Amino acid sequence: MKRYSQLSRHVGAYSDLPFWKKAAPVELLYVGYGLLVVALVVVSYILGATHLLPHDPQEMDLQLLMAPPGTADHLLGTDFVGRDLLSRLILGIQAYFLPGLLAIAIALTLGTFLGVLAGYRGGRIDTAISYGANLIDSFPRLVLILLMVAAFKPDIYYIMVIVGLTNVPVVLSLIKGKIQFLKERDFIEAAIALGLKSRVIILKHILWYNCRTVLIIQATLGMAEAILIETSLSYLGFGVQEPTPSWGNMVQAGANYFMQGKFWPSTAPALAILVTIMGFHLLGDGLNTILEGKRGT
Amino acid sequence: MKLTSVRPVATLLSRELGITALLLFGVSLVVFLVLYLSPGDPFSLLLQGQMATAAAREGVREALGVPKAWYGQYLVWIGNMLQGNFGTSIRSGLPVLNEIVRVGINTLYLTIGSMFVTLLVAVPIALSSARRGTTALNWPFTMFAYVVSALPVFWLGYIVIYIFMHKFGLFPILFRFSRDQGLSWLYFLLPIFVLGIGNGTISEVVRFLREEMSRVLAEDYIRTARAKGASIWAHSFKEGFLIPISEIIASKIPFILGGAVVVEQVFNWPGMGRMAWQAAQDRDYPVIMGIAIATAVLVRLGTLLQRVVYIMVNPRTS
Amino acid sequence: MTNLPILEIEGLRTYFFAKSKQAFIRAVDGVDLRINRGETLGLVGESGSGKSITALSIMGLISAEPGVISGRIGFKTDGIAVNLLRGLEEYVCLARKEGRVMEVRKDCVGWEKQVELLMGTIRGKEISVIFQNPRSSLNPFIPIGKQITEAILLKGRIKNRREAKQRALYWLEQVKIDSPRLRFDSYPYGLSGGMCQRAMVAMALASEPSLLIADEPTTGLDATIQSKIVDLLHELKSAFNVTTMLISHDIGVIKRLSDSAAVMYGGTLMEYGPAGDILRVDRESKHPYTAALLASIPSEKHIKEKAYLQAIEGDVLDTINTPDGCRFYARCNRVTEGIREKCQSHEPALREISPGHCVRCWLYFN
Repeated sequence: MKRYSQLSRHVGAYSDLPFWKKAAPVELLYVGYGLLVVALVVVSYILGATHLLPHDPQEMDLQLLMAPPGTADHLLGTDFVGRDLLSRLILGIQAYFLPGLLAIAIALTLGTFLGVLAGYRGGRIDTAISYGANLIDSFPRLVLILLMVAAFKPDIYYIMVIVGLTNVPVVLSLIKGKIQFLKERDFIEAAIALGLKSRVIILKHILWYNCRTVLIIQATLGMAEAILIETSLSYLGFGVQEPTPSWGNMVQAGANYFMQGKFWPSTAPALAILVTIMGFHLLGDGLNTILEGKRGT
Repeated sequence: MKLTSVRPVATLLSRELGITALLLFGVSLVVFLVLYLSPGDPFSLLLQGQMATAAAREGVREALGVPKAWYGQYLVWIGNMLQGNFGTSIRSGLPVLNEIVRVGINTLYLTIGSMFVTLLVAVPIALSSARRGTTALNWPFTMFAYVVSALPVFWLGYIVIYIFMHKFGLFPILFRFSRDQGLSWLYFLLPIFVLGIGNGTISEVVRFLREEMSRVLAEDYIRTARAKGASIWAHSFKEGFLIPISEIIASKIPFILGGAVVVEQVFNWPGMGRMAWQAAQDRDYPVIMGIAIATAVLVRLGTLLQRVVYIMVNPRTS
Repeated sequence: MTNLPILEIEGLRTYFFAKSKQAFIRAVDGVDLRINRGETLGLVGESGSGKSITALSIMGLISAEPGVISGRIGFKTDGIAVNLLRGLEEYVCLARKEGRVMEVRKDCVGWEKQVELLMGTIRGKEISVIFQNPRSSLNPFIPIGKQITEAILLKGRIKNRREAKQRALYWLEQVKIDSPRLRFDSYPYGLSGGMCQRAMVAMALASEPSLLIADEPTTGLDATIQSKIVDLLHELKSAFNVTTMLISHDIGVIKRLSDSAAVMYGGTLMEYGPAGDILRVDRESKHPYTAALLASIPSEKHIKEKAYLQAIEGDVLDTINTPDGCRFYARCNRVTEGIREKCQSHEPALREISPGHCVRCWLYFN
């Protein structure tokens, strides 16, 4: 049984509810959870950068190998050589946070620039840009990265530049789509007719008013992907090297112990990956539903 | 209803082939650029490897010189590739193309199989959500899709292997088993299951299919079908299911191939992914270059197939 | 026999809930209608008056929530006598305040299942619908001939495919589509709006329904094509004696085709009776709204004298804030001082002023 009730007899013309009351509670839950995760990541990054960790992440305590969470003052227990897991997990964020931001920055700026070019100017420029986008899309990310690794042995920042580049087509098509949408509704034609300068139209009207939500959502999804790529790479042995912790290489290092039934050293970082990526995904999807009005889950 | 302009099928198909060819040309340029610009001039080494094989094949004895100019190098390289000569692996000395084809089949099996698994999970959730909205029944599955899309696939692999080892008591160190090891054939399903579930795209696939089906279900012609008492599934199938599925399959092939690199590591599966990993470690340029091109070809083939499906289904073109 | 009511609607209410305003959109707010066999009822009204929603409510095609919340739709034809809203009370619970519905509790999922049960044998078989925008209402992926054949096969009387195809061709001929055999295999994109609408008419009539609902069949078509479609409907009406519910905001179309007319405003009926009585311009129209509607149609006299168009003052009723009194009060130009207070505070009931002719207006009874 669903319940619909109208409280007031008279309803004003402009009495629309603010978006947080209009949204379905489950969407708000997603966004709330996502924001919580973001906050944790940022805080952990700062803790890691300033070395304000509960324990020294490299300190091995051979008396307390693979201790379960809660022993001594190791909140999450220790790994297979007795290092504090919580500290290592917090430090692991260093491996992807700034590089991830770099990837996002590149994807958004380049994607927006090219998307505006393609959408606003159209014609041959659009065809050329579409070709370039399809070209980038032809490569699986990991394979392209492995190619780069073989050729240049780059560090994580260069790799993230590539990840950013591979995300450009998505941002590009979103911005282009928005511009086409606005063109169809004659907004752009009207703006030009009103005498607005191109720069104003693009920056203020198209990008800020119409595209900002889409860009924020892409930023969240971009970070999720950066985490995925960085952890996969360090799992494969190409990213951060031991003893510096990265969630990926932590899972890999604990593999043998996992097969022996000692799950925790591999599982703790895996859960960290799960919780964090899910946070960014839910944030992006939740914001998408609330702000862009798509039919949500 | 997004329909293309009216043109005969043959023109559209040849246009698609042309675009694919052009893109593959671009792919070769990108790969060439990467290798050409990398320190240590690996490209010349590559070329030498290619030409050594060609020379050996033709029985020519004179030493062949590598062209100096970059366009010369590119042309020779492309010429060799189009003849099937991808050079030889620095590590093993075996011809690259043969090696790629040998292991590529295993990766193809993984890719297609896991795609199947992903769809098996995603389609019912998407269709049920599109038809009935979010109900108490399909919300847990949707949440499951989200959780599973965030799982690190390598960890999922460990769990699955662990269960397999301890439940069935089999220790799959070698890829091939002897016939008489009972349920050992199940081992071949594990990587497909793991990659299918853990490739991180399930939630996106669910969302895309659900949105497309919902959009179609809101169209006028579906309302007419309802008013007629006709089967809504039959009427919404083409635009709401067939076209979106071909689109999403084509667009997720790169992700699955990427995931295959990781999954092949976990299962020690002899496929292109593991070969690429090895090549990256050894800086085995011919191999990694060959795999980069091979995967790009697979991706473009997928897109081409999807365009063909679209052209065939669209009444304006067929 | 000939004047048995095929469709009898009593107290139909279809509400929607606007989440952003937390209020009900009272799209259909108490409609009583009757259509007799062989008769064409014309449902007239401006956009937003609830005409199309009435049609969709009859067919059980309302998917937005809460949807149909009360009423009885009696449908009677050979072998069938059923209330299309049977069991609605068990799924809906209303709470009123000062006579208005302010809260609705409805088991939407259960009701939808019930509707599928009730309408399964009715949709497309006993009641057919023609929609507005024929090009988007036909499936673009299926040739029109096949869509008509589908309707025939669904009816169940003809099971043989070839026979059904012959029937479909027959109907394509009846709707005067050019080269029916050729058009049979055409897709909607290759047909003009007029031809698509003819195809839709063919599809609707091919299953030989007891009732045809035509929802704005001429809207969206070119003016010349509009009159052709009206002619077609007129011919088919005399040839096949189809009972029709014709919905339109075009009074000309209603006049040409209807036997009786019902004028809708703000979700309910304002006037109802024989078309001749209601829609004649020279006669003094009973309801102020009907009079205003007719006056807004430019006549030859108007054009010759270059008079201004007689628009109705004010805006169409906002069906969220329905007034306490008469819905048309705000725009009415025939209010007298004697009844003004009544018009503002009490909604008049639909009362008969001559046999078969009902009006909802305080001018005619105190």
